[in-house]
Amino acid sequence: MSSHHPDEVLLMEYSAGSLSEPMALCVRMHLEKCSRCRGQLDMLNSLGAIMMDTSSASHIAATHSAEDVSEDLFSTIMNRLDAEQATTTTDKPAAKTVSTSRLTPLAKLLGKELEELPWKRQLGDVSVCDISNYFGTGERVTLQKLVAGGRAPAHRHGGTETTVVLHGAFADSNGVFEAGDMVVLDEHGDHRPVALHGEDCYTLSVLTAPVQLTGRFSRMLNPFIR
Amino acid sequence: MNVIHQQTSNINKGQNVTPLKESTRRAERSKDHWSQLLERVGHSQDRSAYHELYQHFGPQIKYYALSNGLAHMAEELVQEVMISIWRRATLYDWRKAAASTWIFTIARNQRIDMLRKQKRSSSEMAMETEDLWQIPGDGENDPLPSLHRIIAERRIRDSFKHLPEEQVTVLAKVYMEHKSHQIVANEMGIPLGTVKSRVRLALNKLKVILQDQDL
Repeated sequence: MSSHHPDEVLLMEYSAGSLSEPMALCVRMHLEKCSRCRGQLDMLNSLGAIMMDTSSASHIAATHSAEDVSEDLFSTIMNRLDAEQATTTTDKPAAKTVSTSRLTPLAKLLGKELEELPWKRQLGDVSVCDISNYFGTGERVTLQKLVAGGRAPAHRHGGTETTVVLHGAFADSNGVFEAGDMVVLDEHGDHRPVALHGEDCYTLSVLTAPVQLTGRFSRMLNPFIR
Repeated sequence: MNVIHQQTSNINKGQNVTPLKESTRRAERSKDHWSQLLERVGHSQDRSAYHELYQHFGPQIKYYALSNGLAHMAEELVQEVMISIWRRATLYDWRKAAASTWIFTIARNQRIDMLRKQKRSSSEMAMETEDLWQIPGDGENDPLPSLHRIIAERRIRDSFKHLPEEQVTVLAKVYMEHKSHQIVANEMGIPLGTVKSRVRLALNKLKVILQDQDL
């Protein structure tokens, strides 16, 4: 089980469906490893159902008019289902193969193993693969690889960076982060992650604003970390 | 170890642990009306059960679309959600979620899907909405301890009635209007920290937040 979780406010925005796709992906990759947050999300979804129920009820009470759904609409739905049934009895949709449905959404998106990605070596121990183009949300979405035992240059974030560990582990002044762990750093965070356990550490990061470097290679490194 | 199990076992501190079979039977008895209807749709394509679900949830889904400023798509959303309910009812497992929660997640995903499709062509959608927003492990054979889930859900429902208006307003904006906490703060002209603390107070009261010492 993971020990660094998204806070309840972030988890609620996930439950409500209001996060951007890259942020939702981070939360989703955390949930993959964290039964605690899956349980919490179950309850947040129950809260969502209650909100849907009570909000429409109080709207009805306030306006004295229900948001009616007509019998006509119901007939339309039934007709669609009947038509569908007529065509699918002979041509059933193929069941998803187990191997595909077990893949995480990130694995499906990339279509290959993390090791096989076109990594761009940055300074020393760090490589990066920019996947922002998959999303087009204006956020900077990157995969990062820190080689076993390697250390990333010290940097500070100009905006908010949300990171989830995909594989391996790293440590910085905030603690130890294992697979599934999630960390949100704002502009006050200044960290120098080190990969642990003698294996490469892969992370997924979403950055909402550029990073400032605090080390001496700042100019050179800016493209990588930003 | 399951979270909900631990949480509710804290509440039942001092009581004997109910044997699993007995707890399953008790949970079975406390299955709510809508979950029973949904099961009938799943097991036997029961059209009258489906119609009753439509009458109950249809207006909710429609209002959900209206709250999102999707008035022009409200009926389409109702239609898409109802069709999904029919298609997937065989997968519904009352031990994992109440019908209302299950339907909420379908409505939420359909809404996200419709908005995504408006923005770009489906061929450009690199990730399935479902993959991104569904709890991993759904559809797998690891149901939550059903009685505990039902108790937790009922507790949320009961204590929700006692939440102060200002907290309900924030929750409604997040869930019904899909606003981030930052946007809610801007709209209400209050600091982000205040919005977050209202949310946390509400979640604490509803016992949605698990305290670390419970784990």
